[in-house]
Amino acid sequence: MKEILYYTWGAIVSFVVAFSVGITYMGLNRKITARVQNRYGPPWYQNFIDVIKLSSKKTSIHHGVMQHMGPAFIMVTSVVSLLVIPILNGNKFFPNLNFQGDLIFLLYIMVFGPLGMALGAGQTGNPNSAIGVTRGLSQMAGFEIPWVMALVALMIQYKTTSIVDLMNVQVESGRWLMFSSPFAFLAAVMAMLGMFRYAPFDIVGAPQELASGPMSENGGKYLFVMMSAGSVFAFAKLTLYVDIFMGGADNLIILVVKTFALYLIPMLYGITSPRYRTEQSVRWFWGWPSFFGLLAILQAALF
Amino acid sequence: MNMIYILFSLMFGGAILTFLAHKVSGLLRDILFVLTILASTVLFYTKIHTGDAVDFSISGLPLQWGINAYGRIFSLIVLGLGVMASFYSVSYMKGKERLGYFYFNFLISLISMMGILMSHDLVSFFIFWEMMTWSSYFIVIYNGKHVQRSGINYILFSALGAYAMLMAIVMVYAHTQSLMIQDMMQAFPFFPVAYKVWLPILFLTAFGVKAAMMPLHVWAPDAYSDSPMAYTSVFSGALSKMGIYGMIIVFVTMVNYLPDDTWFRETIAWLGAITAIMGTLWAIAQDDARKLLAWSSVAQLGYIITGVAVGTPLAMLSALFLSVMHALFKGTLFMAVGAIEKQTGTTKFNEVTGLIRKMPWTFISSLLAIIALAGIPPLGGFVGKWMLYESLINSNHYILVIAIFFASTSAFLYCYKFLFGFFLGQEEKEWEQVKEAPALMVLPMLIMATLLLVFGVFPGIVLNPIDLGMQTLGFSTTAGTFWSMSGLFNEWGNQVMLQPLVYAIGGTFLFFLILLTVKGFKETRYVTTKDISSSGEVPLEHENLTFSEGFYQPFLRAVWPVMKRRMMSYYQGFGQGMEAFFDYLRRVYSGNGQTYAIYVLVFVVILLLFKNSLFG
Repeated sequence: MKEILYYTWGAIVSFVVAFSVGITYMGLNRKITARVQNRYGPPWYQNFIDVIKLSSKKTSIHHGVMQHMGPAFIMVTSVVSLLVIPILNGNKFFPNLNFQGDLIFLLYIMVFGPLGMALGAGQTGNPNSAIGVTRGLSQMAGFEIPWVMALVALMIQYKTTSIVDLMNVQVESGRWLMFSSPFAFLAAVMAMLGMFRYAPFDIVGAPQELASGPMSENGGKYLFVMMSAGSVFAFAKLTLYVDIFMGGADNLIILVVKTFALYLIPMLYGITSPRYRTEQSVRWFWGWPSFFGLLAILQAALF
Repeated sequence: MNMIYILFSLMFGGAILTFLAHKVSGLLRDILFVLTILASTVLFYTKIHTGDAVDFSISGLPLQWGINAYGRIFSLIVLGLGVMASFYSVSYMKGKERLGYFYFNFLISLISMMGILMSHDLVSFFIFWEMMTWSSYFIVIYNGKHVQRSGINYILFSALGAYAMLMAIVMVYAHTQSLMIQDMMQAFPFFPVAYKVWLPILFLTAFGVKAAMMPLHVWAPDAYSDSPMAYTSVFSGALSKMGIYGMIIVFVTMVNYLPDDTWFRETIAWLGAITAIMGTLWAIAQDDARKLLAWSSVAQLGYIITGVAVGTPLAMLSALFLSVMHALFKGTLFMAVGAIEKQTGTTKFNEVTGLIRKMPWTFISSLLAIIALAGIPPLGGFVGKWMLYESLINSNHYILVIAIFFASTSAFLYCYKFLFGFFLGQEEKEWEQVKEAPALMVLPMLIMATLLLVFGVFPGIVLNPIDLGMQTLGFSTTAGTFWSMSGLFNEWGNQVMLQPLVYAIGGTFLFFLILLTVKGFKETRYVTTKDISSSGEVPLEHENLTFSEGFYQPFLRAVWPVMKRRMMSYYQGFGQGMEAFFDYLRRVYSGNGQTYAIYVLVFVVILLLFKNSLFG
């Protein structure tokens, strides 16, 4: 019982941290995008205002049970991956379940939520939602290949599938994996562009085209939960990258600096890019990113 | 009398009685059909123990039937799925024609599968194997749909496999003078090298046909989708596993003793991976749920074949675990398609949409089965997938694991298509009157879907008999090293403890569901799927905006270069080539008496001309 309370407490603390950092990043994204496009842009805390507004709004309609449950599904992915990904080196301050799952579990739990949400989106009957979902799934089949190649390369090089072990390797050797396995890092970062769904890979939400895709029929509480899940998940993914490739972090400030540095990559790449078509996006991931993934596997297998 | 005799006489007697009872009364026939399967299942699990065997001989050939722990794993699939499918078919087949014929063949195919598992000699193995082929063939052509394409293809490939197996059996007998499988296994290390190479190839051809391994898979999509769904759940879930059953024996007892077994294993493992990839891609391209599931069965068997071929203890565990899981989820899904077919009369995604509120129980069981198929935790499919990846990574198959991962990620696409196509999307007037399927059809689906959840959290329940079976095959026990009741471990000592993770998943889900429901569901009202804001326009009553035509067109455009080459077209090319060849031969055998007279004349002239040089 005590153990369960301990982990629940850890989950709540990490959730709050991830939520605030994630929402701030989203706000900064809007601000930076605006400055690049020579606009003034909203304040960096605009997304906090949005979230509070959404949560206090009254929802008046729903399209059925599945749509009602959709946001809860997406939240499962965010929270459980946050629980499995170690936040700081040595499991400090944020007790979590990382010793009970590994990278392959993480890969699969990451698709649990999107699939559940896709079902919710499907029940609304809005054609844009379904189109967005098919695009999202197609793109996922694209970027998972370089991403898994990078992970497999790390797994075979260090003979472990556990995230904590990979972090320990970096702490012991004092060398970040992004330098000792550069190809894996390249492939993983290129896959990350697809994961964050910023341009040119924003085919799922596709502003001006699909009317925000799978989200289109959700408002109020539903959108509130989805937005928070998105922010938490963004932070969880960035933390995973930091853990695996950048030696983890000893305290929160270092973590925030490192994650923000990583977050700039998809953000800045996105601001300056137009949008791909679905098949172009899928093929892009099977091109250079997968080639680097292959190099990473070769490097791990041969050296 | 020995219990094994009683079991077989019970099953055969039941089959014949069911067939005869069809003439008397429909109710009696249904009861006899279900009772036969139930009684033999109960008999099998209570009275027949691991290690039991009977010896007898027919015209001097010593034969032996018995059951070992390895066969028992597959008997779980055959009888478990058989019981579920028998209840289901009683309701599904109601009102159809020639039910005596259908039930008789259904029972015969169950008997033959049990016979295969219980044969300890090659002759009964072969006979039961042929019985299985024929009884399933009769059900494939039962509907009378595409008899030419699906029926002929199926029987042709099965015959190819059977001849290969017969040849291998004759080779074994010529060399050992014995037909016992045990003797063959013991003598195999001392066979000449040519035998050592050819025997596994011949046996794998036979088993590969049933397991629908590339390039022997072309019969499967048509045969699976054309037989009645009540039987397809058994066909794809249990009957195809007989191929896996044989393959594992071949790999454990023969391939291990090959002088250089690496190339052999790699070839089969890659064939399995290619099967998985191509099966998945073709499943994505289908617009008919039966075809989609049929291709998906081909793909899922591909994973299992890869696991078997890699052959490390963890890979073997994963292959056997996936076999059990595949039987459960694919059985459920085929049953769900059958339920929808029965209630709406169609299985096409672009004809029927929005059934979720009409058939909620079918939806829930399909949802669980799809989650398991996709390999998403916390359901059973994840356990099998996890073990497969870990075993491939641990045994240095780096590119193979990427291939398998690609197949499994792309599987999400057709998984979503299945659920969306039938249950989600806009609700239509046309399907307003659809009711949930009868309880007899829904219950088996729900039971199997629940089992998937249970096995996903406590895989030890299934892994325990699998472990016993693997010990029969000569593996050392894997309990504790690779798995515990609800934990999984790989060779590097990494672990996944399922229980805490499942509690985390369930807890988070419930918390946010309650959060949404307390404030949300009460104050919101339900609106129909026509009440949407699609770019500010509200669709009219008769406008159907469901997106189902060309669902994954962009994705298919991206992968089209791979899909352009179809195995079927090569076979067709081969067939056309043969036809042209025989057409050419027909010019010689023209059927015209005068032509033949000329042939005779020419022959005689030649004889006379060369008389001296020929006969000296």
